[in-house]
Amino acid sequence: MEKLSQLIIDIGRLWEGYGNSYLRGIGNTLILALVATAIGCIIGFFFGVLNTIPVSENEHPVKRFFLGFVRVIIRLYVEVFRGTPMVLQAVFLYYGLPYITNNALRFSSIWLASIIIVSINTGAYMTESVRGGILSVDPGQTEGAKAVGMNHFQTMSAVILPQALRNIMPQIGNNFIINVKDTSVMFIIGFPDFFAAHRSATGATYLYFPSATIEMIGYFSLTLIASFLLRRLEKRMDGESSYELAAADPLVMTAGTYKHAERSRK
Amino acid sequence: MRNRENAILEVRDLRKSFGNNLVLDGIDFEVYSGDVISIIGSSGSGKSTLLRCINQLEMPGSGEIYYRGEDVLVRGVNVSEYRAQVGMVFQSFNLFYNMTVLENCIVGQVKVLGRSKEEARERSLEYLNKVGMSAFVKAKPRQISGGQQQRVAIARALAMDPDILLFDEPTSALDPETVGEVLAVMQDLAAEGMTMLVVTHEMEFAHDISSEVFFMHKGKIHERGTASELFENPGQPETIDFLRRFRTGRAF
Repeated sequence: MEKLSQLIIDIGRLWEGYGNSYLRGIGNTLILALVATAIGCIIGFFFGVLNTIPVSENEHPVKRFFLGFVRVIIRLYVEVFRGTPMVLQAVFLYYGLPYITNNALRFSSIWLASIIIVSINTGAYMTESVRGGILSVDPGQTEGAKAVGMNHFQTMSAVILPQALRNIMPQIGNNFIINVKDTSVMFIIGFPDFFAAHRSATGATYLYFPSATIEMIGYFSLTLIASFLLRRLEKRMDGESSYELAAADPLVMTAGTYKHAERSRK
Repeated sequence: MRNRENAILEVRDLRKSFGNNLVLDGIDFEVYSGDVISIIGSSGSGKSTLLRCINQLEMPGSGEIYYRGEDVLVRGVNVSEYRAQVGMVFQSFNLFYNMTVLENCIVGQVKVLGRSKEEARERSLEYLNKVGMSAFVKAKPRQISGGQQQRVAIARALAMDPDILLFDEPTSALDPETVGEVLAVMQDLAAEGMTMLVVTHEMEFAHDISSEVFFMHKGKIHERGTASELFENPGQPETIDFLRRFRTGRAF
């Protein structure tokens, strides 16, 4: 009991001195996670669609070669960014760019660098999720779309992607929540997120446990609210569970059914 | 006149194999305006593959398909444009699950034919009314029965103003009690002079509506003739054997 009141007092002290810094951190974390997840999804959808363009033998050889080439590039991108830690990617890109270009190019802002790195990372995961989402849609949907004369782009945009999007909503939510937490590694290049607020607060006060408690509560509240909102969004995407009838259906017959026609053709 | 120049569809020596399995072994026929051709035969005889090759959901191994005199299998043909004129109704309906009944009928007209939303809507309602589904415009495909879904699929195909309609076992996935409503719609279409190619196991229906019947066996059109010729006087032992298994006691 004594410890608990001590903890509450310490948290109060921390909040007094660094409350604003924590709140700003939460804001920055949320903005970075949201923007990077959104851009990551766009990357994922773009590559996911490129990945699934059918290559038929009837196609022009140049086009076939080009599509094959694109697939190899996407594969490489996914494997590299999925297969290395994001904290390292951040260091690699942030310091690599000026190193290679002899300081001609460098990231002008920490924000830009962080958004690019987290987006690219999310995009690698989303590319695979979108591919999975597209594969999960019944092949009959593609055939139905082709049969009314839609081309690949029309089939994708009108029929397949809306269904794939619904199927991968849980994955998108996953990625968002992971991003809320994992953007904490961007402190390595100096991004002022929620976890960075912990580092600066404890650097001066040495109140590690009370500050970690604030961080735990903060991150958990963020992800909990995010989960809740995502569920709501999914429900909305599913639409109405019932529909209105405009009038009665005149053709439904009772069992037995097929009547011989007067033979109109000879 | 029935000469090749005015055939809607002409199929020449069509062959297709899946691996070592020869599924279509040289198919030849023509379809003229107003024809209603039923294709019957056992499972695995190549009926569905033939239809799927015609609208190029499968690529034939060799042979030619001419649509109004144009070879549609050569490289450079706009397959989507061709498919828009050849409607297809599937065994499993394949309605777009992310759209309502009405949107299912509208989307192809707007995206492929470039019609305005209003015009597409009007036509869709007209055809949905024709198949008795105008009450369900706001329903999603998963909320209605199989027979109702199939009728919507027919309306969707009709709304594209196709030259010819292909039916790939349109009633095989249906509950027995909903088969009749789909057949009734198809019967009306046939009576109105729609050109149709129907793969079916509904023998009585094929007998009633067809101007010609093909019996397929081992990848070939084994026997063909008018409905009465083929059903009442089949010439080949395989045809006789096949039809015997379908007899229900009622005379054809």
